Amino acid sequence: MLPVLDRPLVQFGLAAATVLILPLTMRSGTLASEILIYGLAVAACNLLLGYTGLLSFGQGIFFGLGSYVAGLSLVRAGLPAPVMLLIALALGALVAAAVGWVSIRRQGVYFVMLTLAFSQMFYFLAYTFSGLTGGDNGLLDIPRPRLGGAPLGDAWTYYAYVAVLFLALFAALQRVALSTFGRTLLAIRDNESRAGAIGYPVRAFKVAAFAISGAVTAFAGALHAMLIGVAPLSNIDYHTSETLLIMTIIGGSANLFAPLLGAGAYLLAADALSAIWPRWLLLLGLLLIVITLFLQRGLWGLIERAVALVTRAPPPDDPTPDRPVVATPEAGR
Amino acid sequence: MSAPILATENLGVRYGSFVALQDVTLRIRENSVHSIIGPNGAGKTTLFHALTGRIAPSAGRISLGGQDITRTADHERVRLGLARSFQVTSLFPTLSVRENLRLAAQGKTPWQALAPWRRAEANRPALAMAEAMLERLDLARVALRAAGELSHGQQRRLEVGMAMAAAPKVILLDEPTSGMGIDDIAAMRALIRDLGRDHTVLFIEHNMGIVMNISDTVTVMRAGRVLVEGPPAQVRDDPEVRRAYLGNMITGDLTQAPTAKAPEAKAPEAKAPEAKAPEAKAPEA
Repeated sequence: MLPVLDRPLVQFGLAAATVLILPLTMRSGTLASEILIYGLAVAACNLLLGYTGLLSFGQGIFFGLGSYVAGLSLVRAGLPAPVMLLIALALGALVAAAVGWVSIRRQGVYFVMLTLAFSQMFYFLAYTFSGLTGGDNGLLDIPRPRLGGAPLGDAWTYYAYVAVLFLALFAALQRVALSTFGRTLLAIRDNESRAGAIGYPVRAFKVAAFAISGAVTAFAGALHAMLIGVAPLSNIDYHTSETLLIMTIIGGSANLFAPLLGAGAYLLAADALSAIWPRWLLLLGLLLIVITLFLQRGLWGLIERAVALVTRAPPPDDPTPDRPVVATPEAGR
Repeated sequence: MSAPILATENLGVRYGSFVALQDVTLRIRENSVHSIIGPNGAGKTTLFHALTGRIAPSAGRISLGGQDITRTADHERVRLGLARSFQVTSLFPTLSVRENLRLAAQGKTPWQALAPWRRAEANRPALAMAEAMLERLDLARVALRAAGELSHGQQRRLEVGMAMAAAPKVILLDEPTSGMGIDDIAAMRALIRDLGRDHTVLFIEHNMGIVMNISDTVTVMRAGRVLVEGPPAQVRDDPEVRRAYLGNMITGDLTQAPTAKAPEAKAPEAKAPEAKAPEAKAPEA
């Protein structure tokens, strides 16, 4: 039986509620936009981590790639933003499929090392080809998209733009997760060799998961570049991969909404703490240790417990690995 | 004898310098129940791995329904009609029993499943097969439980059921009764015999009671080679077999059989044990 909190409509409702609550509770539209943008990237990250069981350190590649696509298409080629976003999606899928195609040839630690190697490689590629990427400086003066002739200069106006796209892609990711494809990914995550034995070409599924994840991540990277007006080298740095993974783990990898909690918590904490103490990342390390040791379902696990307390249903066992459950619509019978 | 549905020709498998399988030539007749027995380390599971494409043979050929599948990938062989269960239960532990079966049924059309927009419910045949298997395996009551939470006997039935859900021409069962209690074994025996009516079943088994009762043909393996092959009665009385088993896992009929020289003439096929031991589906514990 699918827990109430994991039902697709509830998940989408939570995402929509987040989109509405942020403007009501936050002062900075930039920070709010950032939460949604990273929220999209971590949801895509979780398609690999939580749904397919792939710990990829390569997500930064696609995020950075999206930023560069924004810079190059908008500034150099003068393309309109919607076209640029489509290019980011396509290119993200293509590069992710290539990175995935090579990386999934190995499993476990070796897979992780391969994605890490790719991450470093793309970073230095971006650094070296400064004619294309601006090298250390990044690509500057990236304009905001225009709606009705005027650019979305105001932070909250851009937030609205991001919010609509966020919800659209979130719904698309949900659709993917609920599809035959998404449900087969869960099987591969659970028991890869059996999935192969009952007929699934496991590699093709993993490459496709990479492509979808990469497309959405690049899309988020492009939105990010338009937010801050720059496509910085740091977006393709392996630290971005790391940050996305940490956000996912803080939030929880049980479903698509959980990582958004992680992105929000991380960015809000960074915003608050960095003003007080430049070494705030130390505290983040502590938080990560606590979550890894005692709260393996992440912040989402806390919500599950709270809901369980209210409804007096037993919460899911904490020690069980934090994983998405299959939606079985016929489950109610 | 009709053309074999599954056949191997001098099949060999090496792990480095260790020869796990050598010169294995098998002919599995369509809709027969064919069992493979032999002491531990005889190469039975290796044979299964080679047949299903999990490992590549170092020599010889495999054909399914006349088609050479020696170099065909494991998931492709499922599409061609070859499915297996595992000696060590291998399920999708966090997914529901129904979902396990649905996935196994859907494995027949794996590329269709790759579509990220297609709803799982759109594949009606797979859903129907999952429902039918739930009934046939007597698992309907636990359909929504995670497979990892089932009892051992239920997990073993699901294990076999996942191979059945692919509606294969040939079904390979690797020690289906391993670790089972007596009640569960009776249910499994009924299930395998039932399978033999509309499938070709090839199974590895240590429980001689089951082997001698429901097999049409028994192949005895030792040290990676085929030792003897024939109808149960003939194999039981073969002196070579008795020697191979001496001091080894002596179970069931094999030891109780009278010592007699193996007849050269083939025992009549009709000796198939339909009349033996009434099979009742064991109720769920």
